Amino acid sequence: MADVLFTNVRILDGTGANPYTGSVLVAGNRIRQVGRGAAAIRPAGAQVIDGAGATLMPGMCEAHTHFSWNDAATLAAIQTMPLEEHVLWCAKVAKKYLEAGWTSCVGAACAKPRLDVVIRNAINAGQIPGPRYLAASQEITVLGGLGDETLPHLPFPEFSFGVNVSGAEEMRKAVRLFLKYGVDSIKLNLSGDNFTPQSPAGTTWMTDAEVAAAMDEVRLRGKRGTAHARSAASVKQALRHGIDVIYHASYSDTETLDMLEAAKDRVFVAPGIAIIYAMLNEAEPWGVTRAIATDMGYQHEWEAALESLRAMHRRGVRILPGGDYGFAFTPHCNNARDLEFFVKYLGFTPMEAIRSATQYGGQIMMRGHELGTIHDGALADLLLVDGDPLANLAILRDPKRLLAVMKDGVFARAPEIAAQRRWERAA
Amino acid sequence: MADVLYTNVRIFDGGGEAPFTGDVLVQGNRIARVVKTGFGQRTPPVLGAQVIDGDGAFLMPGMVEAHTHFSWNDQPSLDAIQRMPPEEHILWCAEVAKRYLDMGWTSCVGAATAKPRLDVVIRNAINDGTIVGPRYLAASQEITVPGGLGDTTAPHLPQSEFAFGAVVSGPHEMRRCVRMFAKYGVDTLKINLSGESITGMPSEMSQFTTKEISVCVEEAKAWGKRVAAHARSTWSVKECVRQGIEVIYHASFCDEEALDLLEAHKFEHYIAPGLAWLINTVHNASAWGLTPEVVRKMDYPRELDAAIESMRALRKRGVRILPGGDYGFAWTPHGSNAKDLEYFVRHVGMSPMEALLSATAWGGPMMKMGKQLGYIREGCLADILLVDGDPLADITVLQDRSRILSVMKDGVFHRAPPVRGARSTTRWAA
Repeated sequence: MADVLFTNVRILDGTGANPYTGSVLVAGNRIRQVGRGAAAIRPAGAQVIDGAGATLMPGMCEAHTHFSWNDAATLAAIQTMPLEEHVLWCAKVAKKYLEAGWTSCVGAACAKPRLDVVIRNAINAGQIPGPRYLAASQEITVLGGLGDETLPHLPFPEFSFGVNVSGAEEMRKAVRLFLKYGVDSIKLNLSGDNFTPQSPAGTTWMTDAEVAAAMDEVRLRGKRGTAHARSAASVKQALRHGIDVIYHASYSDTETLDMLEAAKDRVFVAPGIAIIYAMLNEAEPWGVTRAIATDMGYQHEWEAALESLRAMHRRGVRILPGGDYGFAFTPHCNNARDLEFFVKYLGFTPMEAIRSATQYGGQIMMRGHELGTIHDGALADLLLVDGDPLANLAILRDPKRLLAVMKDGVFARAPEIAAQRRWERAA
Repeated sequence: MADVLYTNVRIFDGGGEAPFTGDVLVQGNRIARVVKTGFGQRTPPVLGAQVIDGDGAFLMPGMVEAHTHFSWNDQPSLDAIQRMPPEEHILWCAEVAKRYLDMGWTSCVGAATAKPRLDVVIRNAINDGTIVGPRYLAASQEITVPGGLGDTTAPHLPQSEFAFGAVVSGPHEMRRCVRMFAKYGVDTLKINLSGESITGMPSEMSQFTTKEISVCVEEAKAWGKRVAAHARSTWSVKECVRQGIEVIYHASFCDEEALDLLEAHKFEHYIAPGLAWLINTVHNASAWGLTPEVVRKMDYPRELDAAIESMRALRKRGVRILPGGDYGFAWTPHGSNAKDLEYFVRHVGMSPMEALLSATAWGGPMMKMGKQLGYIREGCLADILLVDGDPLADITVLQDRSRILSVMKDGVFHRAPPVRGARSTTRWAA
C-alpha cells in the first residue's frame, strides 16, 4: 500500500471545527500528519493527490444498518429471499455503502441468523469490500410483536423475520445462540412499529425479566445491547437495563428526556426518521398513500418524533444518522439524506449534522480515539468531496461529487485523473 | 460499453490454423470484424472505439473449463468441503468464480456442487451482474448411492446435510432427486457411476443399477437437462454411451469395446479426464498424507497409467478431450487449471495447437453455445484473451496470470490491459 498525500484540500476534520486549507499524509492505514495552510508536507515517495480545493472529511458512519434488507416493501419479502442469494445481496450492499462514503456501519439487525456475522468476517478477511462493520443478531421479539412474521398455520421459525421468544429462559437461549455465532450486538425489539399494525409504535411488550436476561448474557460476554424503541416506555426500559444504542425514540416524556440526558455520555440515539418521512410522503407507488400512512399512525409519530428529537438535541444527547434504509421506499445508499433531515427538521446546523456522521460515528463504533475525526495518528478513513458539504449537504449523496473514498488507507474509490484521459492503451 | 479495437495482435482464431497478424473490432458483446494486416501496419482507428495496440501480443478466444467445482474449497477432503457453512460457502464460490475469469476461463461447465443450490445461485448472480464470473452452466450435487463416492455421512450421523452428494437408492428416489434439482434450476445432473479410490470405493467399481441410471437420464431429458457422469470404471464408461450420457468425466479405464463405442459416438460425447487430480494425487500430495506408499495402496499410480493410455487412444480415434477437472482440492488449487493443457501435451500426445483448440473451439458446444463461442470470428461472442507470449510455443504461459494481459468476457473487460509508459505519480482530483 503506497503512502498517499492529499494536498490543497479543505479539511473538515469532523470535530465541529471550521474547515481549513491544508494537506494530509496517509502512511499505511493511518493519518501520519495533518498540515495546515500552504506549508507543504514533503511527499517523500507518496502518491500525491492534488485536491484542487476539494473537501477532505472523515469517512461517514451509518449508525443503524441493515445490509440484509433487500429494498423490498414488506418484511415477508425480505424473509423469503433464499439464504444463498441473501448472502450475495448483503455482499453487494456492503460494497455499495463503502463506495457511497460510509466507511463504517453499525449493524442494527439482520434477517437470517448469521448474515451479519458472515459479512463482517468476509470484510475483515479481505474477501469482499465493505465498510468497517459491527455485526448484529436478528431482531429478538415476542410472539405477535414486530418481527414475528410467522402465520398461524405456518408457525415455523424459518418463516419469521425476527426470533420469537417468550420468557426469560427462552430469551437467554436465543441470546446465547447469537453470541455463539459471534455477533457484536444483540438487538431487542422493545416496542412495536406502525409498519406492523398488530403491534404499533406506541406498544411496549417485553417484560423486564426478559430484557434483564438478555442483558445479563450480553454483559457476561462483553457485547452490546441495542433496542428498537419507539414508545417512551420502551426507551426508558432500554435505559434502565443499560442498553446504549437506542433506535427511533419517537415518543418521549419529560422523564424519558431526563433519563436520556443523564445517560448522554454513554447513549447513542439513531432515530431513522427517513422511514417515517418516506411512509408519509413517498410510499404511494407501493400502495401506501398519505391517508393510509396517517391511519397507520405515521403522522402522529412524525410529529412526536420531531418534538422528542429536537428536545434531545437541545439537551446534548448524541443523535446519529442512519436507519432503516433497505426498504423499497428507503433504498440503500440514500442514507446521507438523514443529515439533511437533521438540519431541516431537528434544528441541527450543517456542522452538527457532519459531526453526527463522523466524530459521533467513531464513538458508536467504539473507536472514538482513532476513528471519525482527522488528526495525526487516526485511522485513514477519508472522503474527498467536490464542493462544500456545509453549504449543501445533498452533495454527500451524489456519487459524482464523491471524488474518492478511502478506508483503512486504501482507496475504495480512487480519484479520477483530471488530466485529459488517454484513450490509447498499449499492451 | 465502448467498442474496442485490438490492433497489431497475433490472432489465434480457434480454427486450427497458424496465427496471423491483424486487428479485431469488438462492438457490443460481439466480434464485429477480424482483419489480416501486415506486421506493424496499422489500420485507421474506428470512430469512438477504444484502441488497444497489442504490440504483437497473442490474441485468442477465452478458455472453457469443462469440469468445474466452484464450491470445492481447496481443502484436502470431501468432509472438509462439506463442513463449510452455506453463508461462507456461497461467498467462497463467488470469490472462486472471479478467480477463474481472472485466469482466462471465460466459460466454465459446472460438474457438481457441494450443497444443493450453490451452483444455481452463482450462475444466476453472474448473469444478473451481482457478482463477477465466467459464463457458467450450473450442476446438481453428485447423485450417489449409500456408501458410494459422495456419501460422506457417518453411521451415527445419517442426516443428509452431512452428505457431500445427494444419496439415493432405487429408481423412485432417483426420480425425486432429479426433479428436485430440476426445480432448483440446474443445467446439468451429475451422477457418480463409478467409485473413487480415495473414498474407499475403488475407481473400477460401478455403483448404480442400469434401471436407476435410465431413470436419471429419462427424467433429466424430460426437463431438458444434460447428464454428466463421474465414470472411471470400464462398465460406467460404456453405460454412458449406451444410456446417452453426454458428458463423461474421467474415463480412466477403457477397454477395446469402450474405445470402439466412444469412437462410434464421438460427436455425441465429451470427455474431460481431469488428469490433474490423478497426477497430483500420485506425485504432489505427500504433504497431505498421500505419500507414495499410501497412493500405491489406493492403486492411483495404476489408474494414472491407465487413464493416460485411454486418453492417448481416444485422441487417436478423434474423440473430443477437454481440459478441466477437479481443481479445488488442496493439491489442485483453483486457478491452476491451465496445467491441464500442459498435461495434454506432455502425456496425451496432443500438439499445443490441439490443446489450445480443446480449451477454445471445442468448448463452445460443451457450453451448449455451438460456434458462437471459442472462436475469434465475425459474429462470435467477444470472449477474448490477450496473452504476452506464444502458447503454441510454450503452452505453460497460460498458467501465469501476469502473462494473460487482459480478459474480456461478453465484450466487457474483466481485466483491461495495462497502460504502457511510466505511471504519473500525480493524480488530480478535481
